[in-house]
Amino acid sequence: MSDLYKEHILDHYANPRNWGRLDSPDIAADADDPSCGDQVHLEIDLDSDGRVAQVAFEGEGCIISMASTSLFTEYIKGKTIAELEAISEEDVLRVLDAPVGSGRRRCALTPLRALQAGLRKYRRRAQGDD
Amino acid sequence: MLDVERIRRDFPILCRQVHGKPLVFLDSAASSQKPLQVLAAMEETYRQCYANVHRGVYTLSEEATCSYEEARDKVASFINARAREEIIFTRNTTESINLVAYTWGRIHIGPGDRILLTEMEHHSNIVPWQLLAQEKGAELVYLPITDEGFLDLDRLDDLLDERVKLVAFTMMSNVLGTIIPVKEIVEKAHQVGAIALVDGAQAVPHMPVDVQDLGCDFLAFSGHKMCGPTGIGVLYGREELLEEMPPFLGGGDMIRRVELDHSTWNDLPWKFEAGTPAIVEGIGLGAAVDYLTEIGMEAIAAHEQEVVAYAMERLSALPGLKIVGPPAEHRGGVIAFTFRNIHPHDLAHLLDLEGIAVRAGHHCAQPLHRRLGLVATTRASFYLYNTSEEADRLAEALEKVARIVGK
Repeated sequence: MSDLYKEHILDHYANPRNWGRLDSPDIAADADDPSCGDQVHLEIDLDSDGRVAQVAFEGEGCIISMASTSLFTEYIKGKTIAELEAISEEDVLRVLDAPVGSGRRRCALTPLRALQAGLRKYRRRAQGDD
Repeated sequence: MLDVERIRRDFPILCRQVHGKPLVFLDSAASSQKPLQVLAAMEETYRQCYANVHRGVYTLSEEATCSYEEARDKVASFINARAREEIIFTRNTTESINLVAYTWGRIHIGPGDRILLTEMEHHSNIVPWQLLAQEKGAELVYLPITDEGFLDLDRLDDLLDERVKLVAFTMMSNVLGTIIPVKEIVEKAHQVGAIALVDGAQAVPHMPVDVQDLGCDFLAFSGHKMCGPTGIGVLYGREELLEEMPPFLGGGDMIRRVELDHSTWNDLPWKFEAGTPAIVEGIGLGAAVDYLTEIGMEAIAAHEQEVVAYAMERLSALPGLKIVGPPAEHRGGVIAFTFRNIHPHDLAHLLDLEGIAVRAGHHCAQPLHRRLGLVATTRASFYLYNTSEEADRLAEALEKVARIVGK
């Protein structure tokens, strides 16, 4: 029916990777879109080198937002804070590897919005600690 | 019976293909397509007699003024207004409702007053009243809906008392499709001295509407949902009310005399039409009214009723498909539904790949969706050019989607 709803997208939607919650995450944040009801809660644990050790997410939404978040959690494992901050919209779409048109771009970028909200909170807390 | 094949030939866009499939356009509740007759009237104006209207003493301006004002007469007779002065041209339904909120509301709504709305309103019949209520210290009260998607009219008497100054409600829900007993609500509103505003955005394009019979004080509707162009809408208002209301926007055309520190207002309807109006769009709306009148609103309503009843039968036979709202005989040409656990955006996207245009989301009715316990629905809406075969195409495409997504 479509290139967008490819096998790997439907697979990540039906069997999301890294589903669930962490005990005491270093980074945690939500992204939601009241207009379509997409909701993602993303959590990250950092190891002693400041790299992503564990990721978890829960959420509800369309196939594109859920599959994109699932793929995204795999993608960010092992990255440093600086690397996380450098992730661009184009990176997320490349990881998704499906032709999202302008109409579905926002759905695909849901995990990035959650990550960026989490990084903002993380930075504020780090500054507060100084 | 409508000759739908002939009607479809009037709409050139219906011949096009989308993703290699013939277009099935099921989103007329958002905006309808335009027939050749409307396109021709507008093009003819631009080619032959376009000029700014009113006050022009040359031929082109007189011709343009004549066509534009003739459109007002056509609209007045289409909804059976008593006089052409009662027809105010606006941009759309939203602007029409805002006009009432900002003018009538400003002088008639005060602290402690109540505005009665319903749970099935479109945002355009909620937000203007919120703004007004916040400014004036007034209160919004909502008539609830039943689980079947009807207005809970048993609650109307409780909610209507002398504190209620305005009752504003839709004539047909843009999500549930429910057709509302306007006359009954208007009569009860008047009994407590309240004014009744009817949101006719979904009703006026699809069924006969007679403002004198309904008895409503205001009726708002849009041109673009009734085969006319975008950028032109209508506010019908009872003349006595319009006369005493202050103007809406200030500027050219709406004045009689301008001094340095004050002005006096033009006669109705121009008092409410500041600046150069949507001239060609107004003429296009006049052509749309002619088009619909010639086919007949009774016949259009009957055709939609038939197609919707068929479509509801086809769709509700699909496992996991749930239609919101009442049975076919109580609704207009709108079917909103959920299908398995497939998100409406995915559904609309996958249907588009089959050439089928439907709308997904909250349809500018978030409070209603919250009441239904849903974030979003998928909506197929039908008009005079839609057929039962298109309902079949929709049902077949949904079966295909279920096979692919399979969750």
